[in-house]
Amino acid sequence: MKHIIQVLKFEYLGCVKSKSFIISTVIFMLLIVLMAFLPGIIMSATSSENAEMPDGEKPVIAVCDKAYNGSKTVKDMFEKNYPFNSIELTDESAEIIKDKINSGDYIFAVMINEPLSVTYFTKNNSLLSVESQMVQSCIKEIYQSLSFEKLGIAPDVSMKIINAETKINTVTTGTDQTKNYLSTYILMMMLYMAIIMYGSMVSQSVVSEKNSRAMEMLITCAKPSHLMFGKVIGSGLAGLTQMVLILSTALVSLKAVPLDKLPKEIRDMLAFPVDTVLYALLFFLLAFFIYSFLLGAFASLASRSEDLNTVITPVMLMLIAAFMVVIIPMNAGTLDGTVMQVCSYIPFTAPLAMFIRVAMSDVTAIEIIISIVVQLASIYIFGMLAAAIYRVGVLLYGNAPKPAEIVKLLKEQHITNKKIKAELKNNRS
Amino acid sequence: MELNIKEIYKSFGEKEVLKNITFSAKSGSAHGLLGRNGAGKTTTIRIVMGVFYPDNGRVLIDGRQIDRSRIRIGYMPEERGLYPKKQITEQLVYLAMLRGMSGSEARKACEKWLERMGMSEYKNKKLETLSKGNQQKIQLAATLMCRPEIIILDEPFSGLDPVNAMLLKDVIKEMIDDGAVVLFSSHQMNYVEEFCDSISILNSGNIVLDGRIAEIKRSYPRDRIAISSAQSDKIAPFIIQKMSGSIISADKSKENENTIVVRLKDPAFKNRLFKELSDNDFDIDEFRVCEPSLNDIFVQYTEAGI
Repeated sequence: MKHIIQVLKFEYLGCVKSKSFIISTVIFMLLIVLMAFLPGIIMSATSSENAEMPDGEKPVIAVCDKAYNGSKTVKDMFEKNYPFNSIELTDESAEIIKDKINSGDYIFAVMINEPLSVTYFTKNNSLLSVESQMVQSCIKEIYQSLSFEKLGIAPDVSMKIINAETKINTVTTGTDQTKNYLSTYILMMMLYMAIIMYGSMVSQSVVSEKNSRAMEMLITCAKPSHLMFGKVIGSGLAGLTQMVLILSTALVSLKAVPLDKLPKEIRDMLAFPVDTVLYALLFFLLAFFIYSFLLGAFASLASRSEDLNTVITPVMLMLIAAFMVVIIPMNAGTLDGTVMQVCSYIPFTAPLAMFIRVAMSDVTAIEIIISIVVQLASIYIFGMLAAAIYRVGVLLYGNAPKPAEIVKLLKEQHITNKKIKAELKNNRS
Repeated sequence: MELNIKEIYKSFGEKEVLKNITFSAKSGSAHGLLGRNGAGKTTTIRIVMGVFYPDNGRVLIDGRQIDRSRIRIGYMPEERGLYPKKQITEQLVYLAMLRGMSGSEARKACEKWLERMGMSEYKNKKLETLSKGNQQKIQLAATLMCRPEIIILDEPFSGLDPVNAMLLKDVIKEMIDDGAVVLFSSHQMNYVEEFCDSISILNSGNIVLDGRIAEIKRSYPRDRIAISSAQSDKIAPFIIQKMSGSIISADKSKENENTIVVRLKDPAFKNRLFKELSDNDFDIDEFRVCEPSLNDIFVQYTEAGI
């Protein structure tokens, strides 16, 4: 136990004090603050721009009406849709309109050729521009309004009919899956990234010890299982430290941002309930341990850092597969379907699946406990297995051994261990 | 305390690396493990350290199975093993604590050993910024910091300049005098001769020679006599003439022209030779039996192998 704590402390401090850790944490925290405040900054910047624009200098939109015989509705409707622009009715030819757009007199122009057919003049057309769609809907509204008028229905009445909206009041008896979707999604991505990041840190650390032969000194001082557990727990705590720092920055900056301007639905989606965040941290630790032990064990089979990626690919693929398997039901909304139920108890998928279900669906306490117990048990088994592989792996140089060879080595080691233990027991008695 | 290596066998796959390795080393003395590259020295050491397990055979301390958790072993691997990217003090303290020292003890020992090695100024540097020889000294500090009862040094002198080699020699001698068991592997025979009371020569995984150096040397036929004298020009023809029936040859030494090496037909003729020389009143500086050097012995026993 003493050894585990010493190794843990060494690994934890080594990680937390490293430049890369400090820099990446600071960058993440700054990014989060920036992301939280950016929308507000942009909004205030754009609104002040519009407010400062003097009335006479509103950008001009030219409308050339050839279909509605100068109906007043045309101008009204454009003015309603473009409150920050001045609308100019014109009967200039297409050539003149083009010139005026090029010279900057008009920002764009619409020529209504037939009731439902227009030519849209613009200087630059970009793929993402929504301008033409806005023009389309504006023309549609004009058409609808005038058509209703012909039938003897007043424009204000017709607009109400056209733009009728349903008020929906959802009553959820379980957990509202839409409510936490965004926050869960963000936490889930974080979880996944963190597992990959810290897991590969563990494997990197194992292979560098092997490469520098520090391993040889270490295994003569401490038991491989102590080294392995100390290393993995130390790196896990370093990961937890970083996640807590990042998440608390997120929580604080979300508090500081005036969210009340946003619609309630979006606010709900962005809510990070404290219990969900705590569950995220718990499942991060569980998932991290499951994968890190495997990564550590596999990494000990590589003899050089160059071989590391090849050797740990199977574990990484497993992690990606686990992520895919749970993210699909999450998007489909089948959180309590068979797939997710089964995944909640398979060690590789359990932390991710259970986290999503806890955050977005209704899970009984028993289910959570069983899943956590399964995960803890598999962590112990993987840990011991990893320590054994590490013990035989650290001294294998050259090509990574085949699975059958590893099993053979593990068996041999098991027998020798037994023999040595028996002899030591004899010694003492 | 006595360290016994008893009938050790080890194979890697099909290849049998060690065959029936047996030797022992006692407290307060050093045992040299000699052998050509690939003879099995490092594998033997790794088995003693518990890095590898033997297929057969045992490592004993005073006749009992070694319990590595209860005995302090200092190990300096040939390939060196420290963290290149970590601060020196940090890793030395860490390793000492893993070996059972408390934090404050470890820090004190670290200070002391860095000072002893003349490395105090580097204590906050990263290991990789040091020269090879200095890294070696740090490695030695790491090995000796916990006052080990058994010290295993695999090629400790490689890469050290003469001054540092001297420092290392002093330190190791001090540890031997303090009663440590030292197991020493090297190719540099002069160092082995200087430290070790006994040696084992390994060849292709077999022990081909084992014993105390002095006894091994004495076991060689004592039929070569070196005579140093300023009159060597006269002595050589004199011996050939006077003792032609008892000697094989009497030639000037290649290394020193004042020395004549006489090969006797029988070591028993030594006294007659001495008498002849003294009766004729030659001015003799030195008259001694030529013992084989460790180098000669090593070459003789390992030449055929591998």
